[in-house]
Amino acid sequence: MKRLCLLAISVAVLLLPFGARADVIRLGLSGPMSGAGASWGLLAEWVAKQAADDINRSGGVKIGDQTYTFEVEALDNKYTASEGAKVGQALINRDGVRYIVFALGMAPVRALQSLSEKSGAILFTTGAGKSIKGPQFPFTFTQLNTPFERYLPLFSFVSKENPQAKSVVVVDPNDATGTDAAAVSRRDWARVGIKVLDANFYERGTTEFAPLVTRIVADNPDIVDFSEMPPSDTGLILAGLQDQGWKGVAVWSAGTSAADLIQSAGSASNGVYMALAGDFSGAGATPVQRRLDAGAVVAMGQHMNAISLSAWDATMAIRAAMVKAQSVDPDKIRQALPGLTFESSYGPSGFGGTEEYGSPQEMLLPIIISQIKDGKTVERARILPAELQNRKG
Amino acid sequence: MSGVNLTSQLLINGLQIGAVYVVFALGLTLIFGVMRIINFAHGEFFTLAGLSIATAVPALAAASGWANWICYLLCFVLVMAGMAIFGGVMFKLVFERFARDPVGALIVSLGLSMLLQSLFGLGFGTAPRKVPALLPGITVLAGGRISNDRLIVFVVAVALTAGLGLLLKRTRLGMALRAVAEDREAALLQGIDDRRTMLAGFMIGGLLAAIAGGLIAPTTVLTPIIGADYLTKAFIIIILGGAGSVVGAILGGFVVGFIESFAGFFFDSTFALMLLLALVSLVLLVRPQGLMGHATR
Repeated sequence: MKRLCLLAISVAVLLLPFGARADVIRLGLSGPMSGAGASWGLLAEWVAKQAADDINRSGGVKIGDQTYTFEVEALDNKYTASEGAKVGQALINRDGVRYIVFALGMAPVRALQSLSEKSGAILFTTGAGKSIKGPQFPFTFTQLNTPFERYLPLFSFVSKENPQAKSVVVVDPNDATGTDAAAVSRRDWARVGIKVLDANFYERGTTEFAPLVTRIVADNPDIVDFSEMPPSDTGLILAGLQDQGWKGVAVWSAGTSAADLIQSAGSASNGVYMALAGDFSGAGATPVQRRLDAGAVVAMGQHMNAISLSAWDATMAIRAAMVKAQSVDPDKIRQALPGLTFESSYGPSGFGGTEEYGSPQEMLLPIIISQIKDGKTVERARILPAELQNRKG
Repeated sequence: MSGVNLTSQLLINGLQIGAVYVVFALGLTLIFGVMRIINFAHGEFFTLAGLSIATAVPALAAASGWANWICYLLCFVLVMAGMAIFGGVMFKLVFERFARDPVGALIVSLGLSMLLQSLFGLGFGTAPRKVPALLPGITVLAGGRISNDRLIVFVVAVALTAGLGLLLKRTRLGMALRAVAEDREAALLQGIDDRRTMLAGFMIGGLLAAIAGGLIAPTTVLTPIIGADYLTKAFIIIILGGAGSVVGAILGGFVVGFIESFAGFFFDSTFALMLLLALVSLVLLVRPQGLMGHATR
């Protein structure tokens, strides 16, 4: 009897902590935490932690009688396929992560996707290629306006403001992100009547851009399009262009903030057009965006950018889908997401893009066109996608 | 093209790229000459100096209100003093026991390189850093344009290379370094303390890498892994020029600089690297000791 009592007490003690605490859902991030794109990855990790804390503080996610809280795990994919595969193995196979709220870089995302789709893990990515979306990838969703959404409105805006500009040179990294984006660039510049003189590609990790700069200057374009380049590389080329006497219009579609560019380009950054760099501290920003921007300045020493901010929106979409589906099963969540309307950091959002991708896997967000003026990001226009406008009525 | 003479511009690009490579590779070849080892952690001397300066200059400028170039000069001198000490400590703690042990040195320096890269990531953070422009503006040379900061880098690199040449030719230390590199046993018979000479060679070699890192800080962005890129180029340079040969490092550095400039312009940077690797393969097949190296007896 004594033994039986001891056993019962032991079992009760062992079970006590599990019964008492909420279940934890791990949210994964795969982004560059070192090198040229580190400012995006590191800030995305901070943003995801803020979103998780926010949800946890407000009582977590309630599914029936069960309460779930979020925990964040971010790993460095170094913008490469090999590291992306390692990150995928670690997140999905080692740590059992079934929700990835941020994945940046086409090559690492493709490597990660091969695992996430097979394992039935939800993957939110900033990756832009059509090759990673569509009905054949039911667990993959895009959390950011991609070149397919951004380029045409941006290029139209730039060409209307600079009617004298007739030619463009495109520069991109020579990986999957860059080559996919350059193809969209070529198509959309042609659509607005600007002639593409050349598309230049370079290896990520390059530290010396003088030969490439001379090549661009020799083409003498009216516009240089830095497409999906990371901030420090864009800045070095811009500074080099200024040194070698080029004067024209600079467009950086993946441009996320003035500060990143000014650090490497100095005064050469003035006037650059961007499509991912909202003024998240200004009057046009939502209260959530202003709070995150202020927090990022204090905690990370940089202003908020759209790429990193997307980790918030993906986390909120997952929470909303879990509540709607009353399940934490990734298969039920992926079925719930396309029909969902949820509160993103920009306001009400949902998923669309069937016309472009074949299925509604693209988060519908406003396209923010901004420009660097005197060292600051000045928002010039917020363009709502037609699908979102229709939903809002 | 915006009033720029293309040939002059490509030559200027080649010279300014090559000059930094020369300083970096001279350090590597000097260490190889006196110790017969390849230091895979050589790039970390470059990185540590560059990151230290890129961290200290903006902080000092903000705290003091002094001009960037004054802060840079002060930080440069202090960091180089620190790097000389760092080189000495590394030699005593790690490299001394692996002198003339190429395999052991290869393994230990590779491990050290990885360890230091991780420590730099923890210490400096992984986001890129850059020193603000020191002397904004450009200089026009024979129709080509170069920023003032890059011109300074080029001039200092050339002066440093000439200074090293003088040190090796005209001073007792230089003669000792050359003697140990040429024939260690004969140098010992002449009463040269080979341990002290190796220490001096290692410290000068490491300092050259650090100076290259410090020089380039205002013209590029620095990350904890930037040294690896320069180390690859330095290997190409010393294979082309000949391991242990100072003249070979200078020649190889400018060959690499010009190939990067011209092939990068007419094709792209990836093609330039492929061309360099093809050239290295050719040299290894036809003249394994390098263009200026001596055949091993």
